[in-house]
Amino acid sequence: MNIVVCVKQVPDTATERKLRPDDKTLDRDAVDGVVNELDEYAVEEALRLKEAHGGEVTVLTMGPAKATETIRKALAMGADKAVHLSDDALHGSDALSTSYAMAQALKKIGFDLVILGSESTDARTGVLAAMLAERLGAPQLTLARKVEVNGSAIAIERITDYGYDKVEATLPAVVSVVEKINEPRYPSFKGIMAAKKKPVEALGIADASVDASAVGLAAAYSEVAEFAAAPPRAAGTIVKDEGDGGVKAADFLASKKFI
Amino acid sequence: MKFILDAEQRLFGETLHKLLAEAGTPAAIRAWAAGSHGPGLALWRSLADAGVLAVAVPESAGGAGPLPVEMVTAFHELGRHAAPGPLAESVAVAALLDRLAPEDLVVAPETVDAWLACIAEGNTVATAALPPAVPYALDADAAGLVLAVDGDELRAALPGAARVSLDPARRLFPVEGGELLARGPSVRAAAEAARDMGALATAAQLVGVGRALLDASVEYARARRQFGRPIGEFQAVKHHLADALVGLEYARPLVHGAALAHGSPDFPRDVSAAKVAASEAAYAAAKIALQVHGAIGYTDEYDPSLWIRKARALHSAWGSPSAHRARVLAALT
Repeated sequence: MNIVVCVKQVPDTATERKLRPDDKTLDRDAVDGVVNELDEYAVEEALRLKEAHGGEVTVLTMGPAKATETIRKALAMGADKAVHLSDDALHGSDALSTSYAMAQALKKIGFDLVILGSESTDARTGVLAAMLAERLGAPQLTLARKVEVNGSAIAIERITDYGYDKVEATLPAVVSVVEKINEPRYPSFKGIMAAKKKPVEALGIADASVDASAVGLAAAYSEVAEFAAAPPRAAGTIVKDEGDGGVKAADFLASKKFI
Repeated sequence: MKFILDAEQRLFGETLHKLLAEAGTPAAIRAWAAGSHGPGLALWRSLADAGVLAVAVPESAGGAGPLPVEMVTAFHELGRHAAPGPLAESVAVAALLDRLAPEDLVVAPETVDAWLACIAEGNTVATAALPPAVPYALDADAAGLVLAVDGDELRAALPGAARVSLDPARRLFPVEGGELLARGPSVRAAAEAARDMGALATAAQLVGVGRALLDASVEYARARRQFGRPIGEFQAVKHHLADALVGLEYARPLVHGAALAHGSPDFPRDVSAAKVAASEAAYAAAKIALQVHGAIGYTDEYDPSLWIRKARALHSAWGSPSAHRARVLAALT
């Protein structure tokens, strides 16, 4: 089975994230990049499926040169090879144009199964899996907490507010995963060293047959009009318990519509 | 010379940091101190899977090393999280076993190779008494392989009753020599090499311990308010924290420098210089941490106490600063 895992480098969630004042895009140079956490679960699931069914795991990322760190980590976990889609023309792409560029790259790579995290910690749109499936003409199986492959059949448990749905489809397909699906492995020292020798193919937009006028900030359908730093958190209210603490707590919860 | 860690070494260190942070290490340390090895041994398994012990065992014997720079990178993180168990001791035992001359062996060479492979894979926890610097076998009750060197004899050791340590998570066992495993001049030389590797691993651990204490102190100084402001705004507190940082930053390159000197005649001298600097920097950071934290700093239930006591114990483990200073002096004169 030919599995492609899409991973994204995101700013470290432990640091303060900033937008650039000039074009109002995320300032990726200002902070340390880390692998989007949910994508680690996607890599783990791809590796488990490979271990169970054989095949090959390819990592695909779209992002600036710095994103090679993310590729290196996924390769150290055990992925076989990587494709890095990187081009200045892609800067500022929104979810729609990102899905277009990624879909073009996926068509070039070829796949039986595409796995990705259900959302990124920076943009948090959570729509890429659905958009990719649409563009690739493949079934979408999103928010999976369990994935089973049997020949060319694939079934997932899709988390919902009330439990889970069983969703079945036929490969090739696009799957997005949630953090309940597995426990991502830590790269071992041997894995880290082996990753150095694994092939990383660099793709520009021309290599992936991406139309330059359809990507980037200028082509984005969504636009950041304005942004401001989050206001500092207001001080909490301290309720002194004078025998009516329970009532006051209940009133507070009721005012927030929790009860 | 480019004197920074490469991308792979950094990823190795970051991975261990994440692993230890997510593994609930403080609970494992407390259990270990109480003589319950389960959580600590589970952590040992994860660390071995990540390659912590493999980097100390030669490739020919089933490891990935010896890679001293990777080893100190790992031990820095082990110190930063105060990981329990005879980790430096296992690294030292690997260095010892690797250097025994075949003609000095009483046991079969295959046995020695099997021990090395088991250490690398994490299947065997090893410890040793290597007097004079290491008079007791650390955590012998949790180890599958307990060795003792006496002059030019290497024996499988029989541990006695545990002694009290400054760090309750370090359980010290006096040993008596049991079955003879090797005898000859190579035992003496191998024990020297083992003491150097153990001291280097401990030096790296100390810098990590000191770093963790400094980080905890800085965080505390930001949060703790007194006289209407965070205590970190007071110059006297700032100076203390800066002193701790300077000490640790001066010790770290000595540790890395010693790792790079592995295999050269300067290695023992450089290890000693690193151990002196790391011992003193970590101990100073511990004293400052205790003072900055105030009364809560010596509260047993509060995690920094785990590091504070480890800093004091490791300060003189694998040779006291004065013993190592004497070695540096002897190498220079």
